[in-house]
Amino acid sequence: MSKRRILSGPWIRRAVQLAFLVAFFALVVLARPRPETDPSPLLKSFFLIDPLIALVTWLAAHALPAAALVSLAVVAITLLLGRVFCGWVCPLGTVHDVAGRFFDGWRRNRKRREHWSRWQLAKYYVLIAFLAMAALGGHWIAIFDPLVLLYRTTTVTLLPAVQWAVEDGSTAVYRADPGVGPVRLTMVTEPVYRFMRDHVFVIPDQAFLGAGLIVAVFALTLLANGYRRRFWCRYLCPLGALLGLFSWRPLLRRKTDQDVCNQCDLCGMACHGAAAVAAGIEWKPAECLGCLNCTDSCHRDALGFRLAMPWRREPTTRRLGLSRRAAIGAAVGGAVGLALMRANPQSRRSTYHPRLIRPPGARPERDFLQRCTACGLCMKICPTGGLQPAVTEAGLEGLWTPRLAPQIGYCDYNCTLCGQVCPTQAIEALTVDAKHEIKIGLACFDKSRCIPYAYARDCIVCEEHCPVPDKAIYVVNVEVVDHDGNRKTIGQPQVDPDRCTGCGICENVCPYKEHPGIRVFSASETRNPDNQPILPESPWDDIY
Amino acid sequence: MCKYSRRQFMARSAATAGAVALGTNRLFAQSPAVVAGPAEMAIAKWTGVAPADAAAVRKMAAELTRKAIEGMGGLGRFVKRGDVVWVKPNIGWDRTPELAANTNPDVVATLVRMCFDAGAKTVKVGDNSCDLPAPSYNSSGIADAVKPLGAEVLFLDTKRVRETAIKGEMVKTLLMFPEILDCDVLINVPIAKHHGRAGLTLAMKNYMGVMDDRKPFHQAIPECLADLTRFMKPRTALCVLDCVRILNDHGPKGGDPADVLMKNTVAAGLDPVALDAFGAELLGRNPQEIGSIVKGQEAELGTMNYRSLPLREIAVS
Repeated sequence: MSKRRILSGPWIRRAVQLAFLVAFFALVVLARPRPETDPSPLLKSFFLIDPLIALVTWLAAHALPAAALVSLAVVAITLLLGRVFCGWVCPLGTVHDVAGRFFDGWRRNRKRREHWSRWQLAKYYVLIAFLAMAALGGHWIAIFDPLVLLYRTTTVTLLPAVQWAVEDGSTAVYRADPGVGPVRLTMVTEPVYRFMRDHVFVIPDQAFLGAGLIVAVFALTLLANGYRRRFWCRYLCPLGALLGLFSWRPLLRRKTDQDVCNQCDLCGMACHGAAAVAAGIEWKPAECLGCLNCTDSCHRDALGFRLAMPWRREPTTRRLGLSRRAAIGAAVGGAVGLALMRANPQSRRSTYHPRLIRPPGARPERDFLQRCTACGLCMKICPTGGLQPAVTEAGLEGLWTPRLAPQIGYCDYNCTLCGQVCPTQAIEALTVDAKHEIKIGLACFDKSRCIPYAYARDCIVCEEHCPVPDKAIYVVNVEVVDHDGNRKTIGQPQVDPDRCTGCGICENVCPYKEHPGIRVFSASETRNPDNQPILPESPWDDIY
Repeated sequence: MCKYSRRQFMARSAATAGAVALGTNRLFAQSPAVVAGPAEMAIAKWTGVAPADAAAVRKMAAELTRKAIEGMGGLGRFVKRGDVVWVKPNIGWDRTPELAANTNPDVVATLVRMCFDAGAKTVKVGDNSCDLPAPSYNSSGIADAVKPLGAEVLFLDTKRVRETAIKGEMVKTLLMFPEILDCDVLINVPIAKHHGRAGLTLAMKNYMGVMDDRKPFHQAIPECLADLTRFMKPRTALCVLDCVRILNDHGPKGGDPADVLMKNTVAAGLDPVALDAFGAELLGRNPQEIGSIVKGQEAELGTMNYRSLPLREIAVS
């Protein structure tokens, strides 16, 4: 049994972990649109301190926001102290800690004797494969960065689930209004609902497409804790692997007094990272998360962490044991993987997905994918909830990257939030004036559905909402004959392709909910010179 | 609120129709009626030098509002001590006051101040915006104008709408916002604008902000607006039509300063149809052409011949 001291290492660590976890979720919740207030640069702070995002973005795009150099501090800390980022800071690590404790409590009589497994090298080979891919221009690994993974999962699945529970739960109570005399249940539920509505939720009924796959990935990594504690961190995490490479020989080393140690293996059972090779004194610093469980669990105080100079080798400190052959194989595999991922018509630019409408300021598709981590920050802050994770629209390489789904939410005319919060500048920060000049797509009427065309009745909600001052949708009055043979004049809407910005508000407000009578497609998007079917009436150099 | 029997109304309507048929249009060009008792409509028009800058426009808008309300006999006629008042401007769009897409913030703020002066306990201001609510409230200048006066600026919650039977000819039930219906006093404060579908958007059209899910309305605007107005008119104490700036084209959302005209006028009244007819004339349209106004008169919700009402015209300078 561990010694239950409040000021013991693990308890201090848990407090720090909790603080970072709370900070992480707070930053997710605080990523809300506020009128006339620029979003705080702190909202993306977890992504800016992430050295994996910095490294692969630099490898793939040969460019990096200056602020991402903060991640060098994490590298420096890792060189000094080992993977303490994983053990003390990483919010996904903390979530896995909690899940692991849950599984341990559930299967209480099962003694975990989890020593280092060679399979823990898998994460290094995965990292090497994807770094090779990144060097050739494939940024894919970033979508599995642990901070990205947790941010996306929280934004896309966890918060909308909470929102559904609060909204529908409180609305049901509001309608039924149960209570005794003047004491009503709504006296509790309504203030809670109003607080959440005003301070947590972005729009009513917010939800995201493809959330099932995202929550499935998250649930699987949580369940894996039942097999091995912190399975994700030990076997898969690419950021953990990168930090592991940096903590090959940290200044902070574990020292065991061999005369005192009786090889009881309590330390091994408590170890988060499975850094111990076997019961006893040998350990691998690249796998040590600095959780301090080992020193705390030792009944004989045989263990401790001491400083040592990097050139000092110690017999108890074991090398990682990466195989050169396997590393080369992994790198080749990464290159082949990229080639396979690019072997589809969309990547070869022989076709475009019509509904891949990228947010305004998004770079040309290839450049965009070389920076976008699919973290979900833009989707979280989008004031209409229209930015949604792509499932199939952008191919496998663009999995979970943002696209505008106008039926769910449109691109607000005066909003530039997505570019302002993007941690890797995959979406460029625009001024409002610059944004007004950008087309993200082009609207077109489905004349077999649009009410004035198809049914000879008035409508024009789209024209009313079009935000362009001189209206990209204009109305032509046409004389038609109704079913009784009467002539009547109907206003039929038309789109002017020069003025339309593709914002999608027309599609969003169309009375048809299931298949709008006006739809926006990616044609004419400013960022893609190859996707310009319509020559502008104004001088052509506008687009080329 | 209708002060006329059907017979009186028919007589007046016949007179109007006759006048129009004669092509004289004299009724619309009468000299100001002199009203001894309480007016049913008051029009405050700026006759002084045209305001030179934005600050002067703001002062003028406030003064016009005050005079129009005074012409109606003061707000004390409508707001009693302890009342909860909902001031319902048009805050439809994420547009600044200069673009005349939303009600003038100084008209709204002056009304709020007068409500408190008349003894209102609470004044609430809000609308069901078409653009994103929070940016619209900010851009319109209304939130900033009324908050310092002590008014509550409220967003309408589409999850707390009340299914309300309005028993219209076309519309039977609507999802209405209970917080508006449950107030003691409702003041409807539209702005006069061009509207691509309805022709114009004025007092009757402004009622579309007290309900949710209004998109199907656009397929039969006159009929739906008549039904909505029939339900809302008895629940409305006063309508105040902001014509300080009017949006002459590309409405209701606008966005181009070239479409905005300075009319330097505020009209107040009990009859939304009459106010709409006045606003239509100000926008250079014949009220007979505007479907909702014609339908409103047919449905006996008011008269488009606003000069037949006890009317006060006030020159402000």
